[in-house]
Amino acid sequence: MTFISIEFLLFFAVIVFAYYSIPHRWRWVLLLAASYSFYASLSGYFVFLLLTSTAFSYVTGILIEKQETKKQKKKVMLVGIGVLLFFLGWFKYFNFVNDSLRAISAYLNWNYTIPYQEIILPIAISFYTFQAVSYLVDIYRGKLKAERHYGYFSIYFAFFPQLVAGPIERAKKLLPQFKVEQTLKYENLSYGMKRIAWGFFKKTLIADRLAPIVASVYDNPDATGSQIVLATILFSVQLYADFSALSDIAIGCARMLGIKLTENFKQPHFATSIGDFWNRWHITFSTWLRDYIFVPLCKGKKKRSEIYVAIIITFLISGIWHGAAWSFVLWGLIHGFYRVFGDHTKQARGKMASFTYLDRNPTFHKWVKIAITFLLVCFSRVFFRSDSVTAAFTNAQLFLTPSSWRPSGIIDAFEIFSLLDLAIFAFFFVVMQLFHHVERKNASTWNWLSQRPVFARYAVYVLIVVSVLVFGATGQGFVYGGF
Amino acid sequence: MKNIEKYRNAFVEALEIEEDEVGEELVLGETSEWDSLGHMILISTMEEAFDVSLDSEWMSEFDSYQSGLKLLDRLGVDFINE
Repeated sequence: MTFISIEFLLFFAVIVFAYYSIPHRWRWVLLLAASYSFYASLSGYFVFLLLTSTAFSYVTGILIEKQETKKQKKKVMLVGIGVLLFFLGWFKYFNFVNDSLRAISAYLNWNYTIPYQEIILPIAISFYTFQAVSYLVDIYRGKLKAERHYGYFSIYFAFFPQLVAGPIERAKKLLPQFKVEQTLKYENLSYGMKRIAWGFFKKTLIADRLAPIVASVYDNPDATGSQIVLATILFSVQLYADFSALSDIAIGCARMLGIKLTENFKQPHFATSIGDFWNRWHITFSTWLRDYIFVPLCKGKKKRSEIYVAIIITFLISGIWHGAAWSFVLWGLIHGFYRVFGDHTKQARGKMASFTYLDRNPTFHKWVKIAITFLLVCFSRVFFRSDSVTAAFTNAQLFLTPSSWRPSGIIDAFEIFSLLDLAIFAFFFVVMQLFHHVERKNASTWNWLSQRPVFARYAVYVLIVVSVLVFGATGQGFVYGGF
Repeated sequence: MKNIEKYRNAFVEALEIEEDEVGEELVLGETSEWDSLGHMILISTMEEAFDVSLDSEWMSEFDSYQSGLKLLDRLGVDFINE
């Protein structure tokens, strides 16, 4: 049962109805049963791993709190994190390390006998492990009390709207919301349904329509440079639509239950620098990395060069978190390099903007920065999308070849679309951009829409629902669901 | 050395700016020296100067010369009766 299915919508409708029909004191049982059923439908017997990680984190949290000295607390926390990372490492990284060691051994003519292991990656393990780590660290830092109610704690770990791919929430924000009695509010139901519908819109009309077109280029060893350029730009649009749709559906579902989740995206492709991009893309993951990796690494560092090392390490971890492959490691390193290079050349770029009079027209300057940032992000995504390091370097070379950017070549590359697919994609892409445009002018498109006349408002809602039903493509899993 | 002097010196040392540039108008992100990376260096310098520990939440709160004074005051650094 995935988010994009009738089964999920029916399942969720039953949960919402039951949630508001039963007394508050039993709601945690309902949410927990719903969360485990949902997870079991996706990941089968790995629900036992989720149960084990939950029980282990629950006990470790209490143990950290019970220690008398800071040193003892730290020891228990590190053991707890070590065990959680061992689970993650075993399922996600065993074969990555194993294959890498085998390749190194073969290169050095050493005998390496550990064979490839058939290990299936449990869905959501990267997400719930990060939530668990933040929970233990926050208790150690004294910012959070260990939760004693096992039921509420388990929901924090497995809350089905955000279990599969976030937003990665902190216990401090989520746990109190489960404990408060949520009353049935029209605004919550209405806002939640709109966010879910918008998620379906982005997923079925943008992401899943683009996925096979992007794949037709990336799976083709004879793709031209212009096709790689176009497919990579389209992949960026696909990835954003895919992942932000997941967050929209998660936020919408949670809101219908009265729970507010953290926003995960703020129009990342309109970022004016790489630093700005990471403040807008997968925000809960970026802030997690900042709080639990980057800031601790920066402790006591008083030189920019030392901060640069912390940046590179943080982005390296970001890359490895995304996938157990060297192409993801390189993707992380590229972003680390961008960030360091951007900082190091800040003054020179400022002078260049002044020399070329770019800074005299702030609006144009801003759009130049947006375009450059977007292209830098696209280049890094060649590594994100390619199936292997070899393919990534070949594709990256094609992406960087000036002739790949010839306008006539790019126009020819549109042959990867059928005319109908192109027309449908173009229409819905424009709709999405209009939505973003309104959002940039106003705080929320939904609030702006609610102030329009009833006819206009419902025309938009009907357009979204009918478009999904008529033109929506399904069948593709969520990209981030695989992490 | 008085705490207020230590505080001002931390800005000079961490952000590599002149002493007369340190003042109430200093705000994070509004000068090229006090950017997000400079902020990390400033935090490390403040932590060492006042023997305090600033976590991410407090780091975001410390976004100007004035807010830094208030934050350190809350953490027990006395700028008035020393």
